[in-house]
Amino acid sequence: MGRSGMGRSGVGRRPGGATRPTVGVVTDAQGPALDCAGVTMTFGRVQALDDVTVQVTAAATGLLGANGAGKSTLMKVALGLLVPDSGRVRVLGLDLDSSDERAQVRQRVGYMPEHDCLPTDMSGQDLCVHIAQLRGLSRRDARRRASEVLFAVGLEEERRRSIDTYSLGMKQRTKLAQALVHGPDLVVLDEPTSGLDPSGRSEMLSIVRRLSRELGIKVLVSSHVLDDIERTCDEIVVLRAGRLAAQQQVEVTLTAGPVALRVTGDLAAFAQALAGRGVATYPTEHGDIGIASAGPVELEALRDLAADLGVGILSLLDHGDSLENSVVAAMSEPT
Amino acid sequence: MTEPPAATAVIHDIRYSRFSGSLRPRWTAVLALARSSVQRSLGVRRSAGAKVWPFLLVAAAYLPAVVAVGVPLVLGDLPGVGATGPLDILGYYDLLGVTGVIVLAFAATTLPSLLTRERRDRVLSLYFSTALSPMEYVAGKLLAAVALVLLVTLGPMLLLLVGGILIADAPLAYAQDHLGDWPEIALAGGYFALFQAAVALALGSLTSRRVFAVGGDIALMLVPAVIGGVLYGLTERTAFLALNLLYVPIELAGYVLSPDDDRSAVPSLVVLQAVWAGVVVAGLGTLVLRYVRGKGQ
Repeated sequence: MGRSGMGRSGVGRRPGGATRPTVGVVTDAQGPALDCAGVTMTFGRVQALDDVTVQVTAAATGLLGANGAGKSTLMKVALGLLVPDSGRVRVLGLDLDSSDERAQVRQRVGYMPEHDCLPTDMSGQDLCVHIAQLRGLSRRDARRRASEVLFAVGLEEERRRSIDTYSLGMKQRTKLAQALVHGPDLVVLDEPTSGLDPSGRSEMLSIVRRLSRELGIKVLVSSHVLDDIERTCDEIVVLRAGRLAAQQQVEVTLTAGPVALRVTGDLAAFAQALAGRGVATYPTEHGDIGIASAGPVELEALRDLAADLGVGILSLLDHGDSLENSVVAAMSEPT
Repeated sequence: MTEPPAATAVIHDIRYSRFSGSLRPRWTAVLALARSSVQRSLGVRRSAGAKVWPFLLVAAAYLPAVVAVGVPLVLGDLPGVGATGPLDILGYYDLLGVTGVIVLAFAATTLPSLLTRERRDRVLSLYFSTALSPMEYVAGKLLAAVALVLLVTLGPMLLLLVGGILIADAPLAYAQDHLGDWPEIALAGGYFALFQAAVALALGSLTSRRVFAVGGDIALMLVPAVIGGVLYGLTERTAFLALNLLYVPIELAGYVLSPDDDRSAVPSLVVLQAVWAGVVVAGLGTLVLRYVRGKGQ
């Protein structure tokens, strides 16, 4: 994302008015970015959301699920675009049942839809100015913000061109820019990398990651691609057939096992020697040496034994459930 | 040792920052939507090709008024005619009669795209994810449609009035003589604007294809007119002429602008008002139902 220019700039900020609503930074005191309790939503015979109860508190949360799992529906419910049949939804501590608070939510949330939604006869700059004004910014502020945000997503050169001349990647950036133009506290991104080539995808993921890490904007992003979520999010929410299937942290923590060990030479002899030094082992399904408990003491014994025997360590990998395994398991469990 | 010069340059950091300024009242968003819609309909900030048709029609709508102001300005009193001002050459009611078809063409081709283009591009989910409510969206679009029709109805009438004041030998006295014209032309323009806006926006709300809305608008104006003409020919009842929807706002404006004219061959004021109100209520009702209940999706 070489051309983007996001940063913690304080230049150009204006003090908030005393009587008019202002856009501020969400704080932990305001509670979770999204708090759903028993949310149910049906479209005819289709149960899009089925008693979903979830709290999204992480700086960046990924929403995973197969097609039709309810990701987009949950996002639209969070934006107040859809009213659930039952259940309670709070966004940034504001209750969507209240029309006043729903309007506040929309002022503080940015939304990047998945589908084509850009007016093709406008330029990227005109669109951002227009959306900013619809969100309540003055024309002067809207113009300044549009320039900033288009620069941030790397569209400063093309901002005056008509959107119908944009590539898919540029359209995705334009959609992201309009979602950020009013300085939201929470930004909801529906499949932001959809249809992008590897380079465009990488740039988009970099921008999304910076939103939460550098700018303090809470991010709720949906994707089919686990790798996208791993690179951009701190937490994953998995939906399956409209129900919450899993919610877990993305962060990789050092665990004390189990691990799978592969060394040069005779594996069985090395395993026996390890057992002789008090490290319990077992054979893995791939023929490696499994170590059930791999704390510092066991790893030191392993290192010393390898040095003593002149054995090379080829690999030492986590043999527990990986994030991918657990997500796939959550998505494929029978309902 | 000399003092370093005082710093005069300012470094502007144009990188992205969080916005912490104050937000404006909601009505400003409605006005912004209306202004943007008017500009897009006229092709402003778009390609030259997009400007040709709307500006051609706007020019055509102003042409009679320009001629009416320009002729006395250039030639002075017209010999044999006795005309001394624009209104002596072309009255407000006559102007509306002359430009009626142009107004229809402008309204039918320009107004539906206020809605159809955004339905086609699926922009509504983007708009409604902002603080803009469906009702505010409808209000903004109605405001834009009314402003566009006023541009080609009220605008030329204002040109006649203001042009007359400016070229009069005694502008102040002329202005005082025509003080009552202001509310009359405003009312006449209002009859046109609401009527055409309601019809065109209702049709535009029913389809994402502009061509269907344009065709529907023209058909709605012409088909009842033919039926009304046939029924009038058979029965000689002037009320049937009120089925000619193009002339409903013109004749209503006639009652305001030229109250002394012979109207024996024109539907009565009550019939015209009833048809006008019926069309406006039906059109706006359709619009509101489509967007406020169905969110126009």
